[in-house]
Amino acid sequence: MTDKKHKNIFVQGAVSSAFIADSIQKHSTKTTIGAHSIFLGQVRSDIINNRKVVAIDYTTYEELALEKMHEIREGIFAKYPLTCMHIYHSLGIVVAGEMCLFVFTSAVHRKEAIDACEEVVELIKKELPIWGKEIFEDDTHQWKENKL
Amino acid sequence: MQVTIITFGQIAELFCGKITLENVHDTDSLQQRLVEQYPALVNIKYAIAVDKKLVSGNVAISETSSIALLPPFSGG
Repeated sequence: MTDKKHKNIFVQGAVSSAFIADSIQKHSTKTTIGAHSIFLGQVRSDIINNRKVVAIDYTTYEELALEKMHEIREGIFAKYPLTCMHIYHSLGIVVAGEMCLFVFTSAVHRKEAIDACEEVVELIKKELPIWGKEIFEDDTHQWKENKL
Repeated sequence: MQVTIITFGQIAELFCGKITLENVHDTDSLQQRLVEQYPALVNIKYAIAVDKKLVSGNVAISETSSIALLPPFSGG
């Protein structure tokens, strides 16, 4: 195993709208960009067997997740002519209505940005070792499982 | 040979974190020991990672291998 550090994608708690706005603002100096595509995952308050989800508690196998994310990133940059790509995923408690995933791709033209963004979101859901524990109003919980 | 296994998600909850198993030398024998000692695991789908790589088929395990049990993912 190599010790090389991969870019961290994890943030404690929700991804705030201020953070997202700030990320967008930072790209104003990159004037070759003609299109941004953004995906935001929001914690949904599902009703499961009459119990309402109030939050999701996220955990990960960080070393494997960052290794995997690095592979995904390399694959996406090899496939699409992107100017840049930024990914943030929450760990810990994110309450319903807050953001837990922020994927931001930028390119010269819209098609690459949109297609890359969509593909990255699918790969994150399918391949990253992240687990969401859905917490109900009555403090009981269940483990979420992604539909692929 | 004794190996320590790290667990995540619902498996971590079931085992309170780490599991130690005796007499394991590959992923097949690992799965046998797991079923013997933790029958509840039969009802949970999981993947095995050895040295931070997901494995399929039978893979050799050494005392220094880092082994993890990964239940279905639910990120995003």
